[in-house]
Amino acid sequence: MKNAKSMLLAGAAILLGGSALSAPAAAQTADVLGLKNGTIGYVLTSAAWGLHQTPDGKAECPDGYNEGPREQFKVLYPNGGTVEGTQLERESASRYPLDKEDNFVYREAKGQVGLGMNLDGKVDANDFTSPDGVKGVDNQLFRAIGCTRLFRAPDGTFANFTEMWVREMGFNRILVEITNVDNLANDDDVTVSLYRGKDKLITDATGKNIIAGGSNRIEDRFSKRFTKTMKGKIVDGVLQTEPTDVDWVWSVFFDHPGYYGIKQARIQLNLAPHGDRAEGMIAGYTDIDNFYQQLVRAWSTHHSSYGGMSQPSLFRALHRLADGVPDEKGVNTAISSSLNLKFVQVFIEHPAPKVAAAESVQRATIEPARR
Amino acid sequence: MRQKLLVATALALGTLFAGAASAADTARAVIPAEREEFARVPMPANIHVEYSELDGPVFATPEGKTLYYWPHTTMRNGVTGDTKNASACTNEKTTHTAGLMSPYPPGLELPELDKRKSCAEVWTPYIAAADAKPTGAFSLVTRKDGTKQWAYDEHALYTSYLDKVPGDVMAATTSNMGSDGPAAREVATAPSAIPPGFLVTSTVLGRQLLTDKNLSVYMSDRDGANKSNCDANCARTWQPVIAPASAQPQGDWSIFERSPGVRQWAFRKKPLYTSALDSGIRSLEGGDVPGWQNVYTQKAPQVPTEFSIQDSITGTVLADAKGRTIYYYNCADDSVDQLACDQMDSPAAYRLAICGGGQVERCLRDWPYVEASANAKSISRTWQVVSVNPKTGHEAKAGEPGALRVWAYKGIPLYTNAHDKEPGDLYGHGNGEFISNRNGFRAFILRDEFAR
Repeated sequence: MKNAKSMLLAGAAILLGGSALSAPAAAQTADVLGLKNGTIGYVLTSAAWGLHQTPDGKAECPDGYNEGPREQFKVLYPNGGTVEGTQLERESASRYPLDKEDNFVYREAKGQVGLGMNLDGKVDANDFTSPDGVKGVDNQLFRAIGCTRLFRAPDGTFANFTEMWVREMGFNRILVEITNVDNLANDDDVTVSLYRGKDKLITDATGKNIIAGGSNRIEDRFSKRFTKTMKGKIVDGVLQTEPTDVDWVWSVFFDHPGYYGIKQARIQLNLAPHGDRAEGMIAGYTDIDNFYQQLVRAWSTHHSSYGGMSQPSLFRALHRLADGVPDEKGVNTAISSSLNLKFVQVFIEHPAPKVAAAESVQRATIEPARR
Repeated sequence: MRQKLLVATALALGTLFAGAASAADTARAVIPAEREEFARVPMPANIHVEYSELDGPVFATPEGKTLYYWPHTTMRNGVTGDTKNASACTNEKTTHTAGLMSPYPPGLELPELDKRKSCAEVWTPYIAAADAKPTGAFSLVTRKDGTKQWAYDEHALYTSYLDKVPGDVMAATTSNMGSDGPAAREVATAPSAIPPGFLVTSTVLGRQLLTDKNLSVYMSDRDGANKSNCDANCARTWQPVIAPASAQPQGDWSIFERSPGVRQWAFRKKPLYTSALDSGIRSLEGGDVPGWQNVYTQKAPQVPTEFSIQDSITGTVLADAKGRTIYYYNCADDSVDQLACDQMDSPAAYRLAICGGGQVERCLRDWPYVEASANAKSISRTWQVVSVNPKTGHEAKAGEPGALRVWAYKGIPLYTNAHDKEPGDLYGHGNGEFISNRNGFRAFILRDEFAR
C-alpha cells in the first residue's frame, strides 16, 4: 500500500514537473487563498486525455499515424458511386461498425512510457512506466488513440477544441470542493465533492488566463449526475481520493451535451501551497460504449477527417484494448485512461435553500409522468 | 431539413400542455387570442399577412400560402442559395451531390432519381403578373425563363407544397443549423411591431421577447396594469426595462412612470424587467422564480397532453408519457438545391442509414415511433397525429395494414430511442451526419440551459 501511494505521488509530480506547484509547503490556513472554514474550491480550466507524446511522435508511433475517413473513402470507392452505396454506407458503419469488415491497418501507440495511474495495483506486460519511472501505469486508451492525430495536442482538433471549450462552454463547468481541511499540505481525512457550476470564468486583462478568486454558483437542477462526493486525503500537498464512479461532463459542441463515464475514478491533484491553483489528473476505467457514442454523436465524420480518426476502426481498437469492468460474460466494458487537469481557486456558492424549495415544487408538477 | 428547436423560454408548465378543451380544428392554424402585432408595410395587392402558429405574422399569397426565401449561404465547400435579386432554384432536376458538405466528394448519385423533383417543383416560385409593379420592399426579379418572380428585401419568394392551409409554416426554419446545417429556406416574416430596443425570436414555445442585447424579458404576477410593485430591493435583481425619453407608446406597448422621471416599458400593460441573475443571454432562469415569467408576443400551440417534460443534463426536454425523450429527424441532401430528406415522402435511405445501418427492423427497434394513444387527435397544425407505414416511413393510406398512428411535429414523425433508460437521457441526441445538423436525430429540447 505504501508503495502504491508513492507511485501515485510520483505520477502527480511528473505531471507537474518544474511548476511551482511541485514544491509542497506546510501551508498554514491563514496563508491560503480561498480556504475558509476548512473549505476550498476550484474550477476546472484545462482537460486533456493523458497521452505521452514525443516531439516527432516516432517513439510512440513508429509506424506513423492512422488514416481517417477521407483516406478510407478513396480506397473503398475509387470510382465514386451512389449516395446510398458510399456516403451513407460509411455513416452506417460508424453507427453499426460490426456490420462489415474493417480491413484497414490500425496503428496503436507503442513503447513503454505512459501517463496515468496504476489502477489495478499490478505491473503487467501491457502497463506503462511513467516518465519518472513509476511502473504499472494503466492507460490503454493511450494505446487506442495515441497515434490518431485528432487527439494529439496541441494541433489535433479534438485536443484543441475540447481544451478550449472546457473554458468557454458553460456546459463543461466543473467545480471541485474540498471540505474538512485542517491543513492544505497534509490532512488525512478530507471530503471532496464534484459539482457543475453555472458561471463564466474570470480572466485577466489578456482574456487568456483564468485567474483565481472568482466565484461560481452550483448548478443543481440539471447536474445531479455530475455531483459526486468522495473521501480523500492530502499528503505533502497532493490530494488523493478514493476510487469511485464518476460521470465527467465534457462536451465538444454547443447544444450537444455529453459526458464520459469513468469507473473506479480517482482524483490526484497537487495543491498549490497558497491555494490559488491545482493540477493533476483523474484516472479510471472509461466506459467504451460511452466513449464511442460521444464521438459518434458529437464528433462528425467531417470533424473526424480533420485528424485521421476513423470511427469504425477506433471502435475495434477500443474493444480490443478494453481492460476493465468486465460484464457478466467476462467481456471488458471499459478502458484504462487518465485525464490531465488544471484548476484555479474559486469561491463556490451553494444554492440558497429558498430557491431549491421553489424548484422542487415546480418539478413536482411533472412527477407523475416520470417512470 | 430545417427546424432547429430553438432554446425556448420557461413557459409555465401548466400552459404548455393542451387540455381536452383546447383540441382544435386542424384544418386551420391555431392562433392564440394574444397574437403578435406586425408593422404595417406597403404590400402588393396579391400579398397579405397571415398568422402562423410558430413564426408569428408571415407574408402570404392570396390563397394563404406562406412565402419563403432562400438566403445565399456559405457551406463547407462552396456557396448555394439565391443571390440578391436572382433565383437559383430552377426546373432542372439535379442528379448528383454538389460536395458542399465535407468530407464526401461531389458527384455521388442522389437516391430515387425516378421520383426526384426539381428545386422549382419543391419550392414554387411566386410568379408575378406581367404588369406587376414593385411596392415598398417588394420587388420583382427576372427568372431565367423571363418570367417575373416576387421578391422581398431583394430575396426571391417561393411557396412550399408542404403548406396546406393559411398560416402553415411546415417548411419553415425557426433557426438555421449554422454552417454545418443545410442552406435552409427561411420564412418571410412580417416585421414585428415592437419598439426599438427589443427583439422577437421564434422558439418552440413561442415568439420570445428579448432586449436588443438578447437578454430575456420578464414580467411579474405581482404587478398591476401599468404599475410596478417591484420595489428598490426587488429591482436590484429584477431590473426595469427603461423607456428612453423619446419612446412613445404603441399598440400593445405602453409606458408608465415607475418613479419621478423614470419611465418603464410595459407589454400588454405588464411592466417589463430583465434579471441580473441570468447566467447568459436568452436565459430561462428567471422564469423558474415563482411569480415571474418570460414574455412571449405569441405563444406556440400547446403540446399533446400525453407528453411530459423531463430534466436532462442540458435542460428540459420533451418526453413521452413514460418519460422517454422525444426526438425528431432532420435531413437535407447535398445537392446544389439542398432539398429536404426528412419529409414523409423523402427517400428513406438517409434516415435508415442513421437509425439502423440501412436495416428497417433495427430502426424500428432502436428508434421506435411515438405512437399516439387510441383516442388522440391532432390538436393544431404543429402537433398532428399522422399515419405512417413503419416499413417505409412514408405516409400510410387509409386502412393500410400495419400502419401506425404516430405523433408528428410540423408533419415530421417523432421518435424515442431504445437506449434511453432514464427520464432525461439523451443517448440519441446528435446521432447523424454533421452531429445531426445535416442528417440525423435531435432531441426535442425545450430549454437548453447551457447553449451559450
